[in-house]
Amino acid sequence: MIQNKEQWLEEASRKIKVPKELIARAFHEELEGNPAIDAPLEVPDIMDITYKYTYGGISRFFRELRDNQQLYGTKCTTCGTVWLPPRINCNECYAPTTWVKLGDTARIVTYTIVYYATSVFYGKTPYVCAFVKVDGADTLIMQNVFLKDVRQAKVGMKLKIQFKENRNGDMGDFWFVPAQEAL
Amino acid sequence: MNKVGIVGIGTTQFKARWIDKTYYELAYDAAKLALEDAGIGKKDVGGVVYGIYNEFFERQFMPDVYIHNYIGMGGKPSVRVATGGATGGAAVFVAWSWIAAGLYDTVMVLGVEKATDNYNYTVGHPTPETLKAILFSGDMTFENPMGLTAAASYALPLIAHINKYGTPTERQMAMVSVKNHKNAMNNPIAQSPKLLTVDDVLNSKMITYPFKFYDNCLYSEGASAIILASEDKAKALTDNPAWISGVGLSLDKAFAGERDDMTIFTSSQYAGRDAYAMAGIKHPRTELDFAELHDAFTGAEILSYEAFNLCGPGGGGALIEDGVVEMTGDLPVSPSGGLIGCGHAVGATGVMQTGEAALQVQGRADKRQVKNARVGLVQSIGGPATAWTAAMIIERIDTVKAKPAAQKKARRPGTRRT
Repeated sequence: MIQNKEQWLEEASRKIKVPKELIARAFHEELEGNPAIDAPLEVPDIMDITYKYTYGGISRFFRELRDNQQLYGTKCTTCGTVWLPPRINCNECYAPTTWVKLGDTARIVTYTIVYYATSVFYGKTPYVCAFVKVDGADTLIMQNVFLKDVRQAKVGMKLKIQFKENRNGDMGDFWFVPAQEAL
Repeated sequence: MNKVGIVGIGTTQFKARWIDKTYYELAYDAAKLALEDAGIGKKDVGGVVYGIYNEFFERQFMPDVYIHNYIGMGGKPSVRVATGGATGGAAVFVAWSWIAAGLYDTVMVLGVEKATDNYNYTVGHPTPETLKAILFSGDMTFENPMGLTAAASYALPLIAHINKYGTPTERQMAMVSVKNHKNAMNNPIAQSPKLLTVDDVLNSKMITYPFKFYDNCLYSEGASAIILASEDKAKALTDNPAWISGVGLSLDKAFAGERDDMTIFTSSQYAGRDAYAMAGIKHPRTELDFAELHDAFTGAEILSYEAFNLCGPGGGGALIEDGVVEMTGDLPVSPSGGLIGCGHAVGATGVMQTGEAALQVQGRADKRQVKNARVGLVQSIGGPATAWTAAMIIERIDTVKAKPAAQKKARRPGTRRT
């Protein structure tokens, strides 16, 4: 039996970064019941790592997004394929690429609507995830498409890029909306 | 290449939660069942290939090393395979190659997953946290931040397919759900045996368009082990082994936006092509007696019919509508109930499916036995937008000996077995 319930809850809450009330709810049986000595024992736990991650050769892509509200791709110096997501070399030619400015229009090639999301996105449903073809790029990039009604999503829908007001230098810095809406 | 047989099969119950077992205790149970089924002891095992997908599920990196110790295999060769949802199938592939190469006589494949020890305290349920753990498999820079889920990863190629061919329809997908839940009624280890109607599926709540609740498999916990053996060893152990007569493995472009065609499960097409070629199968639609496909989502099963050349592009929906893939049809798909009916204990799933196929060709599948099952296909899919596929052809011994492909049944496509 847990000796000091309040202290146990406080330590658990600090450890897994979950409010005490929610932990108390999840561990109601262990805290308030009288489980047998050999009953399965569950414990609160978390796996957590912090990073100072480098974007390496594609750092410029995220600086252009963050600082200049500009979408860049990369072009293979040999075959001319324009990559988005960008890459600093071509996996067909094994040749370097150069940076190219892309258009701000796109279209949906395929999409889905997420109604049941991961813990991170749980309160944000429903939302649209799509593979979009940005004008000027040869490959597709996955992005969110924001619509007044998610059911308006369609293959072929014309889109326009929108940038977040406070940008962090990550893929959350931009998204797409229907082309007409952005005019 | 040496011939590879399956001589022992053991699978624990697939269920939502094994609260009374850790991952290595579950692994032990499957290992014990498989050894007993093969009639051998742990000392007879030359090496072990582990199929375990997700570190965050197990709350442990390198979980295989602790299982290897726990099941008393210390000192023996071992490697872990982690290929997303295809982990179990790819583990079978690796174990097959060890025996085909003549390295060992007997190899255990052991798949296990504890998918629901993680827990979302706000919702009071594991699933959102399970999905979060999976999403670490999406490219962390470009795809993870978009809020993709496993279902969304399958829905993207599916919507492209529907846009091109008009199929599968939501009704056809619902029919797959009804079939697989129903098949699971005959499987004692299944997590979701259910008699549903098409309307039950169509009216269930939307999870990820176009998948509704019953179009999805559920996360399962469980373990599955099979014992593979060289030809001599297999014949010494049993007069009725199942043979792995063909294998294929493909990893398509994981950045699916680079693919030429979003409407095909290309990895399944390639893995199937290679497995068929090795097994000498030219007309899978008539030469296969059954298949255990990776129906993580109903639409995925239908697109898999097409990828494995059981019908032409866009023709998958008709196979379920015409009853061909039902237990009463002439090419039953997922007699076990598949991932939707039996469950998806990720690393264990492909091993379980391979074991199920072996039970079928050995005539040991009890109530879910497909009549005269001689040749079956197993598919294991994983990775972003179905990037990975492992495929296996499992055969009964007499077909491997004689290979009378031309004389095999000449049923017309679309006809039903009576």
